[in-house]
Amino acid sequence: MIIVNYLAAVALLVIGLYAVLTRRNMIKMVMGLSLMEASTYLFMISLAYRAGSTAPVLLDPPPGKSVQSLVHGNVADPVLQNFCLTAVVIGVAVTAVFLSVVVRIAQHYRTLDTDQVRELRG
Amino acid sequence: MTIAALSSLLPLPVAIPLAGAVTAPLLARVSSHLAVIVSLLGLAGSTVILLLEAPTVFGGRIIAQYLGNWRPSNGHVLGVTFAADPLGLLVSLSAAVIGAILLLYTLSELGGLGKRELGGYACLFQMLIAAVIGASLTGDLFNLFVWFEVAALSSYGLAGFFLERPIALEAAFKVLVLTTLASFSVFVGAGLEYARHGALSFAQLHDALAGHVGTTDAVALGLLVAGFATKAGLAPFHGWLADVHTAAPGPVNALFSALMDALGVVAIARVVFQVFGTSSLPVLGLLMGLGLASALLGGIMALAQDDLKRLLAYDTISQIGIVMIGFATGNASGVAGAVYHLVNHAAFKALLFLAAGAVVHRTGLTRLSELGGLARRMPVATAAFVLGSLSIAGIPPLNGYVSLSLIHSGLQQDHETIPYLLTLLAQVITAAALGRAAWLGFFRRRAGEYEWRERMKPGMLTALISLGAGCLAFGAFGPVILRRLMAPAAASLLHPARYASAVLAGSGRLPALTVPFDYGSPAELASVGISVVIAAALAWAYLRIREPLPVRLLRAAHTGSANDYAGYAIAGTLMVIAVLRFA
Repeated sequence: MIIVNYLAAVALLVIGLYAVLTRRNMIKMVMGLSLMEASTYLFMISLAYRAGSTAPVLLDPPPGKSVQSLVHGNVADPVLQNFCLTAVVIGVAVTAVFLSVVVRIAQHYRTLDTDQVRELRG
Repeated sequence: MTIAALSSLLPLPVAIPLAGAVTAPLLARVSSHLAVIVSLLGLAGSTVILLLEAPTVFGGRIIAQYLGNWRPSNGHVLGVTFAADPLGLLVSLSAAVIGAILLLYTLSELGGLGKRELGGYACLFQMLIAAVIGASLTGDLFNLFVWFEVAALSSYGLAGFFLERPIALEAAFKVLVLTTLASFSVFVGAGLEYARHGALSFAQLHDALAGHVGTTDAVALGLLVAGFATKAGLAPFHGWLADVHTAAPGPVNALFSALMDALGVVAIARVVFQVFGTSSLPVLGLLMGLGLASALLGGIMALAQDDLKRLLAYDTISQIGIVMIGFATGNASGVAGAVYHLVNHAAFKALLFLAAGAVVHRTGLTRLSELGGLARRMPVATAAFVLGSLSIAGIPPLNGYVSLSLIHSGLQQDHETIPYLLTLLAQVITAAALGRAAWLGFFRRRAGEYEWRERMKPGMLTALISLGAGCLAFGAFGPVILRRLMAPAAASLLHPARYASAVLAGSGRLPALTVPFDYGSPAELASVGISVVIAAALAWAYLRIREPLPVRLLRAAHTGSANDYAGYAIAGTLMVIAVLRFA
């Protein structure tokens, strides 16, 4: 059932958000953001799905279906899946930058606590 | 040139800086200055191409380019569309021109950096400019998200560029957290709109959204506005902005404040007017609320700052708020004034940040309490700072006067008395904050001599003088610029159906929009005079009192913790969605 996907996406989002809002450890915040990111992918992939649809690959149809029936019929929405592919690529780059900043903060401040790293305020 | 030729040139202003971004680190291996000089030439090339488009586009014709030659079929847009409308062209032109000026300044101030550093800097810088130009020319919601991410990635790099300064790392972490949250918001918003209407093109979405809309659309619009508001630095999504500006060098400050914020503003304007323009959602009221909150919060926080760059950063929040107030009026004067103010803000805020950068370059100090008496020793920087401050205060004949009086008349036309008074109050506070900074930093006497560092160089002086001249020109030629540039830009926002049909057809005309503007309006001049007197009194009083309780509470709310700022942003997102759904 696709409803399970939506529930799982919401659960992941909430867990990630909880980590971002309450964990002061920067690594845990990055993990929380990664969870939220994963939840958006799950959500998009679930939006792309239609009941009974196959993957949007038209080269080699599954047994019992012709290419023609796929072109006119039931495939998952490839645009939303492409959304996710694009966002996954961007997400990898962002996580890399994120972690390198966290490493440099750990080297400079000797801590990962966001409460200790707030010279800039007010 | 024919329309077809102009349309085929349209991707180049983005492609040139992107190609430049790739080659800059390689060129830097040969010579670090070469990388910056080639970047400068690339931006000049983009400017020339945009200028070629300008006469046609500002004449009221929208030019579309279907990338990969995927033409619309039966009203369905199949690929990504680039569409040059007057608004997009105006913002991309100002990005290319101001970007080139900032690179010139960089060459002077940071020319001593190593090869790797300067190559990386030129790369990130051009990526950000390409993102701003791409975001203002694109006609596709997902493409807009991609440019948003390009800008975000390069802003992370630039924010943490000077890794030896720990505060730069702290600021980079905060901008990473907040912008990543914003990118989820934009991503899901765009996905929801696609899932609901099967379209990503602004034109097609506009046609699908005309009239009644459902809950999904309200949620999607809320997510999009909240995400782009983070980039624009509107309250309560602004936590990253002041920190990033405190830690970065002058030209990067100017780039962020003048151009990257413009990306967020243009994206909001496009989504609100050209996508949801004829829908029934109460989005203009929402913009008014966000705008007023940002204008007042930014002004008050600026008044209390001791760090010169931080003060200017809070002032950016306030100015972007005023731009939003202009958009929120929804009438010709207000929207034209908002677009005008956006361009003016790019000019005067770049000028102010470069002046502040010059002060740091010369003295190594940024705290107002340690500065003073610079007027005699750094006359050009002082003149630039004063000129920028007077522009923000809206003194005729500077550029701020024209745009602010347009926004005021937009508010008065709709009889929005309370927002009008609050806008005036925010401006008075902002003017007082800048007046206080000018007095403390430049005009009061200072005991003891500075430990002078490097001297001002010709490139820095050229940049300051050209931006200052821009501020003067956009004020002195106000009526002409309004008629030729700003009124067409407002027309493209206020006639979304025309924009939509032009994008679907490949080109089309916008109706001419006349925006009344009286340069010597006695009421407006009187209001400027009274505001300046009150602002001067406020600045004088603020120097003599203890910090009042509301200011202390507001400063205490800016805890500096990434968790808290993320919490404000999430609360803001929920509030925005709730307003759109239930108001």
